[in-house]
Amino acid sequence: MSSSEPSTLRDLPMSSSQPSPAREVPMSNGESNPIREAITQAIDEHKVILFMKGTPEAPACGFSARTVAALQALDVPFAAVDILPDPRIRQELSAISNWPTIPQLFANGELLGGCDIVTEMYESGELAGALL
Amino acid sequence: MPSPDDIKQRIEAAIPGATAEVEDYAGGGDHFRVTVTAAAFAGRSRIEQHRLVYEIFGAEIGGPIHALSLKTQTPEQTLTH
Repeated sequence: MSSSEPSTLRDLPMSSSQPSPAREVPMSNGESNPIREAITQAIDEHKVILFMKGTPEAPACGFSARTVAALQALDVPFAAVDILPDPRIRQELSAISNWPTIPQLFANGELLGGCDIVTEMYESGELAGALL
Repeated sequence: MPSPDDIKQRIEAAIPGATAEVEDYAGGGDHFRVTVTAAAFAGRSRIEQHRLVYEIFGAEIGGPIHALSLKTQTPEQTLTH
């Protein structure tokens, strides 16, 4: 997704190494926070999901790049959401996860951590097991 | 923007018994690498340990503190890390 008009953002800018159906954010139930809903849904639906700056092919920051590299080294399928196109994505994500920085890696619906934690877990050998 | 010493003082004031080593690694005054050693971290997950440190700085993270790279450990762990 390369939609870049904040007022019409309906899908999270996401890439995934696994095929999944395109999904529109449900807007009909009076919920005033479609972005938060989309994020919650994405975390729920993807076993491993990384919220990052840029994309796995073109990370926009060194911390995001390092986190992607750890996932790629383990050859784990993951979805990636680029938080750069819309500042509300990061805002809502941090409200959900209670974590202030990007990147954020979730596995099985839970926050594993940012670049520091993921790198530490990769080096200690824990990361592979945490992503199962 | 805070200095490495400011950051160190604030962490050590906020987490009883903690020692913090702070390095400005980009030289620009807003990218810091911090190692915090505290007995208070015992029994907590890495996420919880990191949150304890992030909470000290609140909204400054991403603002005046552009990056805060964290390593947290208990005093016992300094022997193996």
